[in-house]
Amino acid sequence: MGKQLLIRIFILALGLVLMNWVYKLVFYPKDLKQHSPEMLELWKQQRKSDILYFAESSNMNVRDTDVVKKSISELTDDLLIHFKIGAVNKPATHAGIYKEWIKNMRAPFPKAVIVTMNLRSFGADWRHSELESVLQAGVVMLKPYPVLANRFLLALNAFDNKTPAQREQEMLREWEEVKFDFPFKVPHSTVRLWDNAMANGSFLLPDGSWDMEKITLACHYVKSYAFQIKPDNPRLKDFDEIVLFCQQHKIKLIFNLLAENTEYAQQYVGKELVQIMRYNRNLLVRRYSKKRGVTVVDNLELLEGLDFSDQNWTTEHYGYNGRLQIAKQLAKALRYSK
Amino acid sequence: MLFNSIEFLFFLPVVVVLYYLLPQRFRWLLIFASSCYFYMAFIPKYILVLFAIILIDYTAAIWMEKLQGKQRKRLLLLSLITNIGILAFFKYFGFANQTLIDFFALFGREFKQYDLGIMLPIGLSFHTFQSMSYTIEVYRGQQKAEKHLGYFANYVLFFPQMVAGPIERYATLGEELRKAQPLQYANISAGFRLLLLGFVIKMVVADQLAPFVNEIYAAPDHFSAWQIALGLVFFSFQIYADFFGYSLIAQGSARLLGIHIMDNFKTPYFATSIGEFWRRWHVSLSTWFRDYLYIPLGGNRVGKWRWAFNTVLVFGISGLWHGANWTFIVWGLLHGFFLLIEKPLKPFANMLSTFLLVTFAWVFFRAPDFANAQAILKGVFIPNAKALNWLDIWTPLSALGLLVLLEFSYRKQRFDGLLNQFPSWLRWGIYLVLLFILVAFSGTQKFTFIYFQF
Repeated sequence: MGKQLLIRIFILALGLVLMNWVYKLVFYPKDLKQHSPEMLELWKQQRKSDILYFAESSNMNVRDTDVVKKSISELTDDLLIHFKIGAVNKPATHAGIYKEWIKNMRAPFPKAVIVTMNLRSFGADWRHSELESVLQAGVVMLKPYPVLANRFLLALNAFDNKTPAQREQEMLREWEEVKFDFPFKVPHSTVRLWDNAMANGSFLLPDGSWDMEKITLACHYVKSYAFQIKPDNPRLKDFDEIVLFCQQHKIKLIFNLLAENTEYAQQYVGKELVQIMRYNRNLLVRRYSKKRGVTVVDNLELLEGLDFSDQNWTTEHYGYNGRLQIAKQLAKALRYSK
Repeated sequence: MLFNSIEFLFFLPVVVVLYYLLPQRFRWLLIFASSCYFYMAFIPKYILVLFAIILIDYTAAIWMEKLQGKQRKRLLLLSLITNIGILAFFKYFGFANQTLIDFFALFGREFKQYDLGIMLPIGLSFHTFQSMSYTIEVYRGQQKAEKHLGYFANYVLFFPQMVAGPIERYATLGEELRKAQPLQYANISAGFRLLLLGFVIKMVVADQLAPFVNEIYAAPDHFSAWQIALGLVFFSFQIYADFFGYSLIAQGSARLLGIHIMDNFKTPYFATSIGEFWRRWHVSLSTWFRDYLYIPLGGNRVGKWRWAFNTVLVFGISGLWHGANWTFIVWGLLHGFFLLIEKPLKPFANMLSTFLLVTFAWVFFRAPDFANAQAILKGVFIPNAKALNWLDIWTPLSALGLLVLLEFSYRKQRFDGLLNQFPSWLRWGIYLVLLFILVAFSGTQKFTFIYFQF
């Protein structure tokens, strides 16, 4: 009985190894193309580039009126004669996704990797976005298990898979319950209270009625930037893993801390919100630049309000001038980095 | 907890191991606790609804056994009214309210909309029907009342079949749950086989057919006639694979604990008449309606017109049991009507005609409303010059091919019995091929089991 059972377990194990091999050889490329196309793009870019640039929509959007429609990575590439930069972009991505891509890079590794560090991606608004489930599904195939196991995990939806309603609830809970603990005074103790205050007639039209357009935007600024990066923020862990991987593989790492519309943040909400943005920026720069030796290109306050394509929403989409200025900063950092 | 989730793949082995480690007298506790845990993974507070059903029917049955005559009947009525009342409150309140609103609107009057803000507890129709079958059997004197509350609770709660059946009778499942089940290789082996086949049929066949069907029903005017027709055929197989797959997983899970659960499906699309289809499709529900509604109404031993009325009524109620929507009632009534006309048209009845009638009726089952059903049926018969969308047909066709192959192989004998005839190298070859198909070709969009909503 015992011997028979062992033989069966052995056959099953052998069968699984064989299946994994057949799957990897025959079916995996097609599945990868369908579920994680960015990985194929990454490997393609790896073959023809010296530096890889990872980004969300900030590297995909241009202003309609721009004559030069080049992205930040393309403009940076133009500014560097000796290096070729290849980009891998996907809207709404963040460090949790970049780290999976980076860990799956093939040797020989690029000379340097530039990873966009989007301040908003640390906040509840982004972390609990309804797009998160789709993003997480896109990296299941890249997990460090046998490829066949990854395929089955994808079928079982064994990833951070929540409904939009569940995510919204988590976001609302965080806005309501998490209290600010800044070393300076802020007008309200939670996002919920601040948002309520902005929503209740913070801007009036000449006839005395509420200016809903401005109020909506002000509320959105609060929800996007009024948060405090705490040590348990999952994005910090993601960036830490990227740092560790690049250090282990001797890859030069640059974090591109993206420009935010601090001018409008101050105009619509107040200087306290900008103070919060600076506080979070300082924390990131300190953590990665000073403590871990990563080059952090700080673009947070680089641009003016009009450099942003979306004048009525909080995005990191820039007009040509904005993109060029960021590209110049990156090129400078690449030239001067060891 | 869904069967097709990573949680269940951990939950089941833990329960099985603990089950065989525990002495028999404590096993009911494990089944009870694990069933509660399984159910509470959906909406925890709804377990209280189940507890209410259990307590009422347990008490009613014990008292019923002691009483005679009218008092006994009153207790049965109390139990039935409570069960149906709970079902009506959670499942049909909104439907009844909306029907009254629509009805009053016909006369230009207004009826107030009441929103109770409640969700239907998952599988409520299944456990109320299962529990009702017990009290009816006790009332009829065909079943002794269970004195052990734990065993009775497990009969209603037993996790493999609690949310979508099969609707078991106490005489079978109740007794199975009481028996001492020694650890037997045959049960473990049969359990794994059923689980493997069930997961393949659900995750590879049903879940690969679902995206095509969903696209078609979401926007029928975007597709050509042949695509819509294909969508209707795919749905016939999707719902079968979805429910049959669930039933096999339920059987397999129970079998790992040494407990036998009835076959709910017997290759229904091989039926050559609607009557035969209902003897092969969702057998536990068909026999429930036969034993507790159709026969008490007079069954076949009544006049022609009364028989016709009974048949249509039973199927209408069966439709309503499935869902609180007029489309489900029409689906049920259509099947009743098909049965009525089947007798005079018997020479024309065959496998194809039966399949086409069943497929036609499924339109009303699947469509969210009559407008959608109408658009689907119109789309099949009227060519759509504006049809632009193109869907991948090869993936669902391959999944369907696999199901057809499997159905042909076990149409005369159950899957595990069939495998037993093969030499072990062939049996293991089949396991490995099925395992590969399951792991490599399951649908990547997870769909909950269709029957969970009932």
